[in-house]
Amino acid sequence: MIILETRSLKKIYGSGDSTVHALDGVNLKVENGEFVSIVGTSGSGKSTLLHMLGGLDRPTSGDVIVGGKEIFTLKDEELTIFRRRKIGFVFQNYNLVPTLNVYENIVLPIGLDGNTPDKDYVDNIIHTLGLKSKLRNMPNNLSGGQQQRVAIARALASKPAIILADEPTGNLDSKTSQDVLSLLKVTSEKFKQTIVMITHNEEISQLADRVVRIEDGQIVGGVSNA
Amino acid sequence: MSLFRVNKVMERLNQMVDNAIEGRPIENGFDETKMSALETKLSNYLAMNSTTKEKLKEEKFKINELISDISHQTKTPLSNILLYTQLLAESDLSEQDKNCVAALTQQAGKLNFLISSLVKTSRLETGIIAVTPIRFSINNLLENVINQIKPKASDKQITLSQKGENIQAFFDPKWTAEALYNIVDNAVKYSKVGGKVDIVVTAYQLFCRIDVTDTGIGISEEETTKIFSRFYRSQAVSNEDGVGIGLYLAREIIAAEGGYIKVRSELNRGSTFSVFLPMEG
Repeated sequence: MIILETRSLKKIYGSGDSTVHALDGVNLKVENGEFVSIVGTSGSGKSTLLHMLGGLDRPTSGDVIVGGKEIFTLKDEELTIFRRRKIGFVFQNYNLVPTLNVYENIVLPIGLDGNTPDKDYVDNIIHTLGLKSKLRNMPNNLSGGQQQRVAIARALASKPAIILADEPTGNLDSKTSQDVLSLLKVTSEKFKQTIVMITHNEEISQLADRVVRIEDGQIVGGVSNA
Repeated sequence: MSLFRVNKVMERLNQMVDNAIEGRPIENGFDETKMSALETKLSNYLAMNSTTKEKLKEEKFKINELISDISHQTKTPLSNILLYTQLLAESDLSEQDKNCVAALTQQAGKLNFLISSLVKTSRLETGIIAVTPIRFSINNLLENVINQIKPKASDKQITLSQKGENIQAFFDPKWTAEALYNIVDNAVKYSKVGGKVDIVVTAYQLFCRIDVTDTGIGISEEETTKIFSRFYRSQAVSNEDGVGIGLYLAREIIAAEGGYIKVRSELNRGSTFSVFLPMEG
């Protein structure tokens, strides 16, 4: 089943001579449960693409379809709720809430949606990510790698349709990076979680089931399944 | 309808779905209300769904059983074929007969590997054999694997090297050795005569990594995603021996232990298979 699809996705910044085609007709299909990495240099359009996939920014033309729904037909308020329910984000700078402890951070998106956490599921995630002994800690008492593990747990806990990871190890040293990436890989398999990860690092991208290459706003290599 | 009543209806619907998710009974008594009718309808729908799911599960189990039966029933005749071929090879034969016996031995060996791999995968899948990870030394694991592969490697004058810290990780020694052997066996098989295979161990905080690097034929990018599927064989190696189950089994084993395998390869330059195993249970 195709969970995520883009059709002739374009994003143009500026006008006249200073026009920049950040995305120039991207067609991409992601199967449910797949781990896909999008690799490209800075300025290739990979971040723009990720922002479109997550409904953080609107395209100039083209569609993003998540679970059969064209997301840009939604109003801004609807899009916000769509993001909260359907997309889990893992950013380079973790984006944890500093005044909440680890457990509270993990279940925050579930609470925002007016639901109670599925305790067994959340416990399983916490165990898999090795966070059991850290649940009462505040984020600023954790190492970078631990903070990113909390962010991954938070993204998984609300059972999103897709997790979007933007350079998830960009702020970590190479040893810690390897552990965080391993956990991302293991959890994607264990929880059958669809993950789209963007990175500029070829080595890191090889972790995914499938690598898609982007250059000058276009998919140039790898297997795009489109 | 007043807002109060709408809210009440929504609450009740919410409760209904929560019950459905948790697998609790959905019907909250029976009366002539539409709500009660809806509950019964949803309950019937869920029952239908779960019957389909059960049926699929049952069918899958039957298929697994069939594979397991076939593999079992073929084991004894196969051992006999291997035995009699061996006896035949020891008797006085003409040159042509010798060639035939050699081919027979090779083909029977291939079939034997296929069947035993199938038995193992079907047992893993049906859960007859479970992997039981324990704390164990990576060096002991590698020693075991290297001893097994040495004869094949020296036949092709391939240098085996091992580097890295001696650490303890969390895995099932017997099954992991099997998985790792399949990977190292490929490395030796697809390397040219006189090549080398390096095994490097790296420890991280949560995982340990075993890299098996060869200087062999390499794998194209499109194929790296396919090589772990059952019975997949690359066109490029169709003249080599193999049945396409070794890597599949390896991946099943490593995944069952909470680890994973990653591959990085370049055509004609060689491949690195990285096995990641958890350090803790």
